[in-house]
Amino acid sequence: MSTDTYGHRLSVFSDRNFKYLMVAPGILILLLVGIFPLIYSLVVSFQNITMTDVDTSFQGLLNYKQLFRDARLWQALGHTALITAIALPLELVLGFLLAQLFLERMPGRQIFVALLVLPTVLSPIVAGATWRLMFDVRFGPIGQIVSYFAGEPVTLLWTVNPSLVYPAIIICEVWQWTPFMFLLLLAALSNVDQSQLEAAELDGASYWRVLRQIIMPAIKPVVAIAVLIRGLDLFRIFDIIWALTEGGPGSMTETISLYTYVIGFTQFDTSYTAAVAFLVVALLSVIVTLVLRRMELVK
Amino acid sequence: MTALTRRQRRALTLAMRYLIAVAVTLLFLFPVYWLFMISFKTPEEIFHVPPLWLPGQIQFNNYWVLFKDGDVVAILNSLIVAGTSSVIAMVLGTFCAYSLARFNTGGENLAMWIISQRMIPPMAVVFPIFLIYVHFGMVDTFSGLILLYTAFNLPYVIWMMRGYIADIPLELEESALVDGCTRWQVIWKVVFPMARSGLMATAVFTFVFAWNDFLFALILTRTEVITFPVQLTHYMGGQSNFWAKIAAMSVLGTLPIFVAVTIMQRYLVRGISLGAVKG
Amino acid sequence: MHALKGIDLTIADGEFAVFVGPSGCGKSTLLRTIAGLEDVDAGEIAIGGGVVNDMRPRDRNIAMVFQNYALYPYLTVFENIAFGLRARKFADSEISKRVGDAASMLGITALLDRFPRQLSGGQRQRVAIGRAIVRQAQLFLFDEPLSNLDAKLRDEMRSEIKRLHKNIATTMIYVTHDQVEAMTLADRIVLLRDGRIEQQGSPLDLFERPATGFVAGFLGSPTINLIPAVMDVRGNSVAVRLTSGEMLELPADKVQSAAGSNGKKVILGIRPQHLTRAGRAALPKGQIRVKAVADLIQPTGTRTYVTSRIGDVAVTAELGAHDVHEQGATLDYAVDMNRCVLIDPQTDKVL
Repeated sequence: MSTDTYGHRLSVFSDRNFKYLMVAPGILILLLVGIFPLIYSLVVSFQNITMTDVDTSFQGLLNYKQLFRDARLWQALGHTALITAIALPLELVLGFLLAQLFLERMPGRQIFVALLVLPTVLSPIVAGATWRLMFDVRFGPIGQIVSYFAGEPVTLLWTVNPSLVYPAIIICEVWQWTPFMFLLLLAALSNVDQSQLEAAELDGASYWRVLRQIIMPAIKPVVAIAVLIRGLDLFRIFDIIWALTEGGPGSMTETISLYTYVIGFTQFDTSYTAAVAFLVVALLSVIVTLVLRRMELVK
Repeated sequence: MTALTRRQRRALTLAMRYLIAVAVTLLFLFPVYWLFMISFKTPEEIFHVPPLWLPGQIQFNNYWVLFKDGDVVAILNSLIVAGTSSVIAMVLGTFCAYSLARFNTGGENLAMWIISQRMIPPMAVVFPIFLIYVHFGMVDTFSGLILLYTAFNLPYVIWMMRGYIADIPLELEESALVDGCTRWQVIWKVVFPMARSGLMATAVFTFVFAWNDFLFALILTRTEVITFPVQLTHYMGGQSNFWAKIAAMSVLGTLPIFVAVTIMQRYLVRGISLGAVKG
Repeated sequence: MHALKGIDLTIADGEFAVFVGPSGCGKSTLLRTIAGLEDVDAGEIAIGGGVVNDMRPRDRNIAMVFQNYALYPYLTVFENIAFGLRARKFADSEISKRVGDAASMLGITALLDRFPRQLSGGQRQRVAIGRAIVRQAQLFLFDEPLSNLDAKLRDEMRSEIKRLHKNIATTMIYVTHDQVEAMTLADRIVLLRDGRIEQQGSPLDLFERPATGFVAGFLGSPTINLIPAVMDVRGNSVAVRLTSGEMLELPADKVQSAAGSNGKKVILGIRPQHLTRAGRAALPKGQIRVKAVADLIQPTGTRTYVTSRIGDVAVTAELGAHDVHEQGATLDYAVDMNRCVLIDPQTDKVL
């Protein structure tokens, strides 16, 4: 009896060609759209195709050298890292708190959960647009609420004021994706062994001790996956920023995706864009591999 | 203060939880509520300073304008593109997943490669894909966009369905095979019904991913195949009555998703868990 | 719908009480209510003289061993056992001492550095017990601790637990569905059924003087034989008449309130151990000779179980190992009426 790595029993009647036939169409599409463009991109990155010039001769590392001299690129990466570093922990903590709130049975919990999921299933463009409306200086409710608490009319230009743009983006992003963390953590927390918690209760352990020594280790695998997925998504963040600030003011909120868009589709700096794209892929691959390796160790 | 009995304490805690739950839910849904309200307001009401919390009366003019100008076609386009690509992705992906789950085709390497495909940042491939599409004249075509969404949803479908299929006891299939069914019959009669909830959850999420996509739609469409998110951005530019259109269009575009998700709510938690809890 | 109804129970200090009963009878619920893990709708629970209804489980000074051991997977065995002591801020030296003592008492000193996943079922169970005893609580609760172990291990651990009780002499409450465990471990058995106490008392009490047919049927292996019959009272002699006609006279001391019960339907309960082979000699007082055909013979090495039809019902007798006969042979049974029970079919009470 053969099993795969997860211990699932494998079917014995392995019809030889059938199994390859089944995966063929899917793999084909993936190759077409996944690998082929990457290779094409790699080739282009070694050429010198710009808006004005179509020079397909081999240029060596011309474009890659430019990567290091491009300040705007590294700024973009910095912006991306900033957003990720702030939004991810926030989403995690808030999601955890929400999960704790709804963990124990309560009548009507289903309804609450269904409603709270809504921000996550919206198009990020809709989310960005919504918050743009909310933040609007003249007729958005946020301004009015803040003014009410401040006691005097306050003018907040969320999408223009340099010190407010990042909070605006992060608020919108956290608002949209905390429910995602919430659902994941709710499932994970529900799966913690009840009897361990009861034993700890009888042992007289404080909430913090239980959290630290029993709950955290138990949900670590789920948290790791959540961080990986959301982390990657945050790295690629595009829609929300497009809707809120379009990368502005200037290029203050330009993340790496936005920057790639700018050089690729407004400046048509084809080869350079390809090089940037490759840098991004390489960077992500390294990060993901490192994280996965750490996860394997944890498991 | 007199000590409370356990039952009293429990009741109090529950009451507090409810209070907080309601407050939190209202807080989270407030922006959506605001969007909704704007879609019903007249331009004067929208620009009222200070902002009005409720419209004077519910008027559908903003929606009507969308229909009149034909902008609603974006919703239709999204339906076609997201729907078709989801169906194709589900079919191809589930078969792939079955092969992987039951026969371990390609071993761990293939599985790893497929999962890594999901981690490819779209931005890295959108440019070369754009170039390829231009070359083949696939820009601004339905089939082009559908192909793309199918490809990008495949890894997710395969990953999820593999897990769901693996959870189905092998004995069920084997007894069917022994009873004389062909492999196709087994898949159709045994696997699909048993994996129904997994199929539903995954299908909904595939649909949502395709529906909400902006980047590819932006770059790979022009005028023929405008999808909902792209149409929405056409209204952005700071002009006043466009806010009304943004709100109305947003509501229209979110409705199908909301309906689908609410119906599938039972299966939702597993879908979003992305197999994490099981894996 | 209440899981427990009308429970009135007192357990003496140092006693080993066993809650036993079929699935769903509420024994675990009762245990958890005492622990404080379940709420009480009405009534009082007092431990060590104080009412604890409103006390949280942690304040009741009790320890519990769970069915699935409930060990903390990410802590070593030492830390698992020490968990409660650390939570209550005991000094490190005191912790080491107590954990060391408990470990040596249970024979797991060598395992202190390991993690639960590296241990066998029996070892894990010992760790769980260790975790319970280091706290030196006033009450120990066991929730079906041996259910997950295989038969041989179960026997071993049963003796360990009995020995433990002798050593530390604390009040213990033990929940099981296994009547053998109940009989061998208990000072007092509490037999529960559908949320009520069916009967409580010493093991021998319940075995020899069951209050109801349910109790009689629950304890004892193989199960007691139940034969429908009718009372036959004529003057001073009281007997039961089986449906197949035999008249079995009841000894005088069983006959307290037989007056007026002529014709009453009863169920005669006879344990397999009280059905023996009758020799040719006259039977002792109270034993009646009954002939029956041996339908099924099941030898076990130490005993032979012979099933026959008596009173139109399949009846099992426990005979000696070498009393094996051919199937179909007619046997003379000696039915010990001194040890039988009469059950009222309607109320299930023993007469």
